[in-house]
Amino acid sequence: MSIRGVASVKASHDQEQEILVAQRKNRPLSPDLTIYKPQLTWVLSGLHRVTGVAMAGGFYALTCGYAASSIFGLGLDSAALVSAFTALPLGVQFLAKAVMSYPFVFHSFNGIRHLVWDTGRELTLKGVYRTGYVVLGLTATLGSYLIFY
Amino acid sequence: MFSLTRVGLHSKALLRPSLARAITIPGLPQVPQPPGNIIGTVNDAYVPPPPHKLEGSIHWTSERIVSVGLVPLTLAPFLTGASTIVDSTLSALLLYHCYAGFQSCITDYIPSRTYGKYHNYANYLLLFGTGVAGYGIYDIETREGGLGKVVSKVWKA
Repeated sequence: MSIRGVASVKASHDQEQEILVAQRKNRPLSPDLTIYKPQLTWVLSGLHRVTGVAMAGGFYALTCGYAASSIFGLGLDSAALVSAFTALPLGVQFLAKAVMSYPFVFHSFNGIRHLVWDTGRELTLKGVYRTGYVVLGLTATLGSYLIFY
Repeated sequence: MFSLTRVGLHSKALLRPSLARAITIPGLPQVPQPPGNIIGTVNDAYVPPPPHKLEGSIHWTSERIVSVGLVPLTLAPFLTGASTIVDSTLSALLLYHCYAGFQSCITDYIPSRTYGKYHNYANYLLLFGTGVAGYGIYDIETREGGLGKVVSKVWKA
């Protein structure tokens, strides 16, 4: 058995505070996404927020647009929206529908996944992956179906 | 400064530039932070925020109730077609759902610790936008017969 000498530094309260400040300056900032390998857990979590914010932005744009149109008489109605949409090339129309349908289906089913978690179920690593793959599968199939709905 | 070599903090490996870069919102002035983001001393006890009637568990529960309610209301237009009453309820719950979501984003990305009063300004702007959107929903329901009809018309165009 070897004996190792432990060097201790006698420090005053102010010095301890200074050490703490210096230590915390070196701590990584959260969230530091770049240090993580992409994994189903946090990628789907991030997608849930991104799709939610994007669709909520669209919802606010549409409803606030109607409100502004009603107050200032800008003439925004479904007929104007339809003619604007049909004026787009067919490829762009399908792209626009895909950009709406995949986030809609994903956020809906991932939202149900969150509600399942809220009851305490599927809260294991296995459960998180299993439900995650189910959501991805439903997004791929129902999202594609909705584009041609 | 008190000798940092003794506590092993002198090494350059620790001072990677990526550690010092925070994600910030361009154009918004920030509140200067204390060194090392420390407020108080080494072993201060945690001071919880004062209780609030509309925040915490009640806020969480109301968000869940709205989310659970959104599930059948979102399905209904696909299965039976939406009446104005179903569409109005869906739109109102959706508005609260979006409002709560945006609120969470403001809490996360425009915190008062970093942005001070701009945190409150962001919340006021959101509240105003939500009011305008609420009037927009009323306008859509009366003029178009519902959000579902607008989306359906554009989708089938």
